[in-house]
Amino acid sequence: MTSLVGSSASEWYLAELAKPQSSTSFYLDGFLQGGFSNTDDRTILRSIPTFTFWKNAISGDDQLRQRMSFALSQIFVVSDFANNAISEIPQAITNHQEVLSAHAFGNYRDLLEAITYEPAMGWYLTFMGNQKADPVTGRVPDENYARELLQLFTTGLVQLNSDGSPVLSSDGVPIELYTNRDITGLAKIFTGLDLEGIDRTLYPTIDEIINQGTGLDDNFLRPMAPHESLHAEDRKEFLNCSVPAGTTIEQSIDLALDCIMAHPNVGPFVGRQLIQRFTTSDPSPEYVARVSAVFDAGRYRLPNGANVGTGRKGDLAATLAAIVFDPEAREDTNLTNTRFGKIREPILRFTHWARAFQVAAENPEYVSRLWETQELSALGQHPFRAPSVFNFYRPGYLAPGTESGAVGMTVPELQIVNAASTTGYLNFIADWAYNWRVEAASELEERAFLVEAGLVVDDAILAGAFVAAYTEELALANDPTALVDHLDQLLVYGSMSEATKTAIIDTIAMVPFDDPNDRDAQNERVSLAIWLVMASPDYLVQR
Amino acid sequence: MINRRHFFKQASASVLSSAAIMAHPAAITSHAANTSGYKALVCVFLLGGLDGHDVLLPYDSASYDAFANIRQALIATQGANRQRANLKPLVPRTDTVLASRQIALPPEMPNVKSLFDRGDAAIISNVGPLIEPVTRTTFQSSGAKLPPRLFSHNDQQATWQASAPEGAQFGWGGLFADAVLAAGANASRQEFTTITSGEFGPLLSGRLSSPYTFSTDGPAELFLLADLKQTDLDPERRDLLEAIRQTLGSPTLDGAHILERDMVRAIDGGLRTNDLFNSARSRAASFNASFTGPLGAQLRAVAETISLRSELFASRQIFFVGVGGLDTHSAQATTLPALLAQIDAGIGAFHAAMGELGLENDVTLFTASDFGRSLVVNGNGTDHGWGGHQFAVGGAVNGGNIYGSLPPPAVGHQADTGNGRIIPSVSVEEYAAKLGSWFGLSEGELNASLPNLGNFSRSGLDFI
Repeated sequence: MTSLVGSSASEWYLAELAKPQSSTSFYLDGFLQGGFSNTDDRTILRSIPTFTFWKNAISGDDQLRQRMSFALSQIFVVSDFANNAISEIPQAITNHQEVLSAHAFGNYRDLLEAITYEPAMGWYLTFMGNQKADPVTGRVPDENYARELLQLFTTGLVQLNSDGSPVLSSDGVPIELYTNRDITGLAKIFTGLDLEGIDRTLYPTIDEIINQGTGLDDNFLRPMAPHESLHAEDRKEFLNCSVPAGTTIEQSIDLALDCIMAHPNVGPFVGRQLIQRFTTSDPSPEYVARVSAVFDAGRYRLPNGANVGTGRKGDLAATLAAIVFDPEAREDTNLTNTRFGKIREPILRFTHWARAFQVAAENPEYVSRLWETQELSALGQHPFRAPSVFNFYRPGYLAPGTESGAVGMTVPELQIVNAASTTGYLNFIADWAYNWRVEAASELEERAFLVEAGLVVDDAILAGAFVAAYTEELALANDPTALVDHLDQLLVYGSMSEATKTAIIDTIAMVPFDDPNDRDAQNERVSLAIWLVMASPDYLVQR
Repeated sequence: MINRRHFFKQASASVLSSAAIMAHPAAITSHAANTSGYKALVCVFLLGGLDGHDVLLPYDSASYDAFANIRQALIATQGANRQRANLKPLVPRTDTVLASRQIALPPEMPNVKSLFDRGDAAIISNVGPLIEPVTRTTFQSSGAKLPPRLFSHNDQQATWQASAPEGAQFGWGGLFADAVLAAGANASRQEFTTITSGEFGPLLSGRLSSPYTFSTDGPAELFLLADLKQTDLDPERRDLLEAIRQTLGSPTLDGAHILERDMVRAIDGGLRTNDLFNSARSRAASFNASFTGPLGAQLRAVAETISLRSELFASRQIFFVGVGGLDTHSAQATTLPALLAQIDAGIGAFHAAMGELGLENDVTLFTASDFGRSLVVNGNGTDHGWGGHQFAVGGAVNGGNIYGSLPPPAVGHQADTGNGRIIPSVSVEEYAAKLGSWFGLSEGELNASLPNLGNFSRSGLDFI
């Protein structure tokens, strides 16, 4: 958050809130209108939400909204992992991106409601088409969404103090909030929602919609529709909440979400996870308590006196302000606090590179390396492609065999750090640091791939997409110390240790030069310096 | 070089001092693990919760009809592959579980069926996490200690692997590895004692050992440093590349941030272990057995690694692979048979590959999963349960038999917690203990690895 330094941080924050939201439909519209691709190649179709993410995350002007939306995507996980069924309908995740983006500075209760009606979530957590119990066949409602709505989206499994710590029983063990009886009770709420316009006698399962092509794909952009006759009409009890018999679907959902939202766990449960996405992996209980108090109050007073938030519980603009303006995140003393900080997510390391060097990021579809980054040999992480609803990593992850784990620090990102993924990241980021794809052979190969996939290729865009000019850096290439100082400011906000700096300076000084104007050597030194900085612990850990 | 003041491991490479080994409780147990010969355990984790009800299918007419009635909504869409005539009946060699009942595997599992018939596969039925034995009465009256967070994916995965919910630090696979290391196994190189193909949970996290993660899409190698392998490399260039490698692994760690130290250890340890692994990799065996699909790719990599056991100096190894998609809340009729076919093919190919290496008696594969599922249908799928059925495969397995107990295809019976979510009759720790005992661990070491083992008898569970 060092970018806050300089002009008034409060003004910066208010300006970010006011910025218009980047379009989430650019690629979908382009694809559907046919100008984007000359075939219906599935690879491109499946990648539409991916293209949208990279374009907006890197080149969108609404950067804070983009970060919040990405953070929320790691709570409300919908994924097209392993070419699953919704990867075939890009409208689904596109709509999820729109919902997250639109509510990023809105209210958590409203977001929960939008998510509940989302076809993408309805498919992913299998409550699209969910029906009330049938005593004749013995069928009961699907419990999937009810369970994860509580466990992952709102309360968690155990009773929490406002500082995020578990309330302990007299035996010293955490107190579980609910039993499976609560889940079967809540599951009845989420019966009767289905994709708008679907005829279940023709298409009993969503897979058939996908396989047969029903013309309903665009309905994944709209909320699911209520079917009262399929909704459980009896009384529904869960989590000390009660929804009376005979309510409509929308009334049932409203009452259920209001009651869940009123639970005191929601503030610390959601607040702690958002802190982990923005500032520190293992926030102090006091930090969590301050943020969850703001989540509950729905209002935050910025340093310049301006108020953020509507005063209603769950205000996300106020909550995010409480996270980024918290003394724990802002005060310089925390630069030396050895428990404050987070490992940068692999995805954010790449977007950081692209933004820091101001590459042309408007056309990620021209860069096949970005289509699939989930492999361990790439980033080991891909937007909207977590392995399951449990995200890429868990908020309570204590990494076995590490120093942080041994002292009880939760470090989610360490869950995807291993021998394969660290080497994968170093290779991946080298591709960009060295601009290797601009080599003639690489560019021809890439062009052939894109044409084969059906992209209408504009050679001017292809030549420039995600290529860094490194103009400022090349000007410093003959002065290793100045070059590394510059990269320290640009990428590590001037916090690089002397030891790291010296090691990198000494190493890049060894790049052989034929003469002081050796352009190849200058390029190599700049690329190597960037790569070594982005491989350094000083960079990988954000403080 | 890396400061070893702390006894913390590399992310993948543990370089242990003898002091660390001596300090480990297993090392002072009087009956230390038997580490002679070569033995490997291979855990195939079925992520999401395998519906055991749809794997071990009732076959006698009365049971099948009862099952088909409860599951009518599902069976209607499952079609031919759940019709009784198309199932593959199993005839146990010595039955202690079924009595007058008969059971069958689904038609998409021909390999496991054949392994069962040949005596190389056993079924352990109704196994799941338990702290102590539980009955329906004690479940309802809270009269028994129950595993925390039942029915929750992440927590039950962790409980299967580490006897505690999410956040558990030490898995029994890692503790088994610690015991054999302390007893002198893999003495000249310990990095390849536990190996995984991804992040599936804490099973392999030990106090001393930590798993090496391999990538199934080619060797993990830094291509910027690939030229270092050239013998005729220009000396100036060699110096540069060696300086780069040094820089990646050697920032001063004193006073650095705790996460910085963890990251340097992960990167540096990873690079060193990858180098060791890659230098052996070219000598891996190739197999006639046909590995297909994502699970097949992982099991092929395991088989190849086992073929390198001498090059990697390993006499005891534990492998951990995973297959996802078992959380069949929806579309179970189409998704589960495809997954079972993949699992079946993987198991068949792996067992055949071990035969090609002459190691079929020295390698035991076993399955595990978050939980079983409800017998009652939710429309076109099933919901989270508790006890489930698992397979153990290998020449050392007392195959052709079913162990444990098999509740009837009904609800409301003595093992039912509701809707056919069954109370396990075999605890995961009993299941693990039998595998650990075969792996060479002493009783003391088993009890040190499995905290609740003393609450169970392990009787009638001699599947290995």
